Amino acid sequence: MRAPLVYGALLAAALAPAAAQQAGDAKAQVQALQFAPLRFTPPTAKRVVLSNGVPVYLLPDHGLPLLNVAIVSRVGVGHLPDSLWGVGWQADNLMRTGGTTRLAPDSVDKLIDFYALAVNISTGNEQSTASFSGLSRYRDQMLELGFDLLRNSRNDSARVRITADQQLENWRRRNDQPGSILNRAWSQVMVGDHPIGRSLVTPGEVAGFTPARFRWTQQRIFCPQNLLIGVSGDFDERALIAKLESLFRGWAACLPGLRPLPPLQVTPGPRTVLVEKDVNQTNIRMGHAGGLKVANTPEYFAAEVADFLLGGGGGFNSRLLQRVRSDSGFAYSVFSNWGADTKREDLFFAGAQIRAEKTVAGVSLMRHIIASMATEPVTPRDVKLAQDNEVNSFVFQFDSPGQIVATQLGYAIDGLPANWFDLYLRGIQAVTPAQVADVSRRYLHPDRLVTVIVGKPSLFDQPLESLGPVIRLPVDSIRR
Amino acid sequence: MRRVIVAAVLLFLPGAAPAQEPSPGEQLPVVKRVLPNGMTFLFLRRSGAPTVSFVTHFRAGAVDEWTGISGTAHLFEHMLFKGSHSIGTTNAAAEQALFPAIDAVADSFTAEFRKGGTTDSARLEALRDRLKQLEDSARTFVESNELDRILTENGAQFLNASTNTDVTNYYFALPSNRAKLWFLLESDRIRNPVLREFYSEREVVMEERRLRVETQPAGLLREEFLQAAFRAHPYGRPVVGIASEIQAVSRRSAEEYFKRFYGPNNAVVAIVGDITVDTMALWADRYFADIPAGEPHRPVVTQEPPQRGERRIEVEYDANPQVLIGYHVPSGEHPDAAALSVLSAVLTGGRTSRLYQRLVIQDRVATNIGSGMAPGQLYPRLLQFSGVPIAPHSTQEIEAAVYEEVTRLEREAPTDYEMQRVRNQVQAGAIQRLQDNFGLAFQLSSSEALWYDWRQTFRFQSALARVTAADVQRVARTYLTKSNRTVATLVRPATPGAAAAAEGSR
Repeated sequence: MRAPLVYGALLAAALAPAAAQQAGDAKAQVQALQFAPLRFTPPTAKRVVLSNGVPVYLLPDHGLPLLNVAIVSRVGVGHLPDSLWGVGWQADNLMRTGGTTRLAPDSVDKLIDFYALAVNISTGNEQSTASFSGLSRYRDQMLELGFDLLRNSRNDSARVRITADQQLENWRRRNDQPGSILNRAWSQVMVGDHPIGRSLVTPGEVAGFTPARFRWTQQRIFCPQNLLIGVSGDFDERALIAKLESLFRGWAACLPGLRPLPPLQVTPGPRTVLVEKDVNQTNIRMGHAGGLKVANTPEYFAAEVADFLLGGGGGFNSRLLQRVRSDSGFAYSVFSNWGADTKREDLFFAGAQIRAEKTVAGVSLMRHIIASMATEPVTPRDVKLAQDNEVNSFVFQFDSPGQIVATQLGYAIDGLPANWFDLYLRGIQAVTPAQVADVSRRYLHPDRLVTVIVGKPSLFDQPLESLGPVIRLPVDSIRR
Repeated sequence: MRRVIVAAVLLFLPGAAPAQEPSPGEQLPVVKRVLPNGMTFLFLRRSGAPTVSFVTHFRAGAVDEWTGISGTAHLFEHMLFKGSHSIGTTNAAAEQALFPAIDAVADSFTAEFRKGGTTDSARLEALRDRLKQLEDSARTFVESNELDRILTENGAQFLNASTNTDVTNYYFALPSNRAKLWFLLESDRIRNPVLREFYSEREVVMEERRLRVETQPAGLLREEFLQAAFRAHPYGRPVVGIASEIQAVSRRSAEEYFKRFYGPNNAVVAIVGDITVDTMALWADRYFADIPAGEPHRPVVTQEPPQRGERRIEVEYDANPQVLIGYHVPSGEHPDAAALSVLSAVLTGGRTSRLYQRLVIQDRVATNIGSGMAPGQLYPRLLQFSGVPIAPHSTQEIEAAVYEEVTRLEREAPTDYEMQRVRNQVQAGAIQRLQDNFGLAFQLSSSEALWYDWRQTFRFQSALARVTAADVQRVARTYLTKSNRTVATLVRPATPGAAAAAEGSR
């Protein structure tokens, strides 16, 4: 049997030398690869300003008969008076489902389903969005309906009741999945009742659902001065702008009554909190205040590289995935997220779902890995991995007109310059291993982590108390 | 008044959707090339950013596993990221010389584990620790996750893979100037995979199972539902694997699975983006042509016998109720498949669908109602309804409404409006799916792998547009019968936590 096989191999080699080379050392071949430079001038969105001051970012693409409209409001639910948070959180749902002063709710549903439009409205804590997309031949129907939903929400009382019932059911189901318990416990422990930690409406808030209160919040979130618009796809610029001008005509100025987002107070650690749940896998999150803002500064870029290498984007070569998953087999999912914002404090955290029988070993390992960012400095090769990834993947930032427009809207909302991506790339490329170690030493505090654990302690490898004092948080005491 | 306005709008629609026209996707200038060893390439050049998406489907799914090795297709998918004789190691020979000793301990672990009720748990844990020690010692020669590192530094995006019942796929996208890297790495890993770090990855997969199934009420319900509906066909087996079998899969059976199903003749690659087709074809030949063909894929012989009577199961879990209702229906290539999809859209596709209107909007019995085909496409499967009740309403009320609406559909044909709505949605969807290079590559590769025809998925769009109201009624009468139905309901155990405690003690 062997001889014919060898002969076959030799024959193949003789006939196809390049192919035979394949069977050799792939690693050496990868190292020898030379790539031609990428020649690419990304298209840029054109910015125009409507007569009412609303900026519009335009990027036509006539390749397919599709039109995408993205609208962002600078106002979120967190800017509403606190008593209206729950109303604001569901104001998006009512805008989509509650009809308009012109059209009954069923008529809106029929138009959307019949024209196969995608209509999404979302009120977030710090900003809100609406998007409309569909076949470009339905441009007018799409825009007229979309603006009607934004401007003239009816908040039909039957639809308000449906939303109320659904929110109460969400509340009932809030402890069905360990991930939901962890998210809510984590927010409560870390930021108390601050709006950015909320994602669930309470029965008390549902009791306050009325059409008038929905209307109050909608008028303050979606109104001309708050909005930015992005349009991509198959459209004619002049006709589109004329249409937008007509749709804004008579739309009154934004009304008063909002507040600035309350300051964020992050709970200091160390602190370990346990929520008991009868599951054979433990949900874990640990972290503290992030300490940094998004800015064109060396330390922000160094923190981005540190997060990439710790577990925020470096894939399997990040330290958390390599050691917790690949080396130890403790978890399928493990990650870090060194959050930063342009305006406010954000959080640094790491998380995992770990086999119950390795809970304490896993928590200790994760803490050790976070500490290692300062004590076992990253190498030049590590930093180069993060830099090469950013530089070589930059074209994916411009993969579609919709994405280019969305990026520009995001920069504008965040107060970043239009060329932020260039600044970001340059900033990342300038990072050194010493800067990564330094920013880790100054801003990561493995001795001051707040750790929240959802699981079943009787299955753990050791008592959780072996890590230090443990605060028990009964699942029913998670307020939202 | 308002209703009149809407009716008027609808009349003016260019609504006569071109039902007979081929969907736009069928006309794409896809170039198909089949190498002499049977490996199939689909190339499509697209304008836009200089990126290129690569999606490979192997005709190797969970249904192709044999008894006792469930989860191996998926575990093997994880293993293909561990590298080859060259990538992922500093000394392949020295590393692999350690494998027999590691496998021997793994066999001892399995033997102990198989004792079930009489397993010595201390010995089992000692063997698990020993296995970890030995695998750690082999790590001296391992460059862990080197494949991932090479791709990360070259700017790869969407790097991932997934295993389903019918096929397994692997994918990523690259800046187009780096396309050659895909040919080099992909040919290397399917030519010479080394199943290193095997037993620690087996633990990772167990955690994936716990994450997706054992700690998720919906995941658990779905698993038990499929097991109840399919008694003979492997569609009843979980893709991620039965827990006891995942813990006993050996490196040898994973290698055997690979040898049996990963021949180049079972692979379909779609390459979509900013490419020169001739160059891609040249590289396909250069890098893959000399890999010997493997066994051709043989479809599963087992057929699910006709169901003789309704099956009902309860799944106990400490969570609020939900329900799954499934009817056996033919495979994706059966002439009735399109009518069944339209039926699903009439009943649950969008807020104006019959069941959504009734259960969510009028009666406020459910937070949601959905339907679709599961769990695969290649073999006869289920049309599945899933509903989540709003307390104090029950899953029984959801069931009753589903059965009544099915009966009403048999009696009252879908209206012209309903049929036109579905056609419009199909038509818009057919264009939307052309937007994204990665999505398109995925569809082309999947369609060719499943049906030996990249146009088949597009043709199905056209078939959907040709379905008539009478077709929908006919398939409802044929398949949506009580005796052909399986119902699974999630209920709380009498003592909360009892079921999960039993799960945890394994």
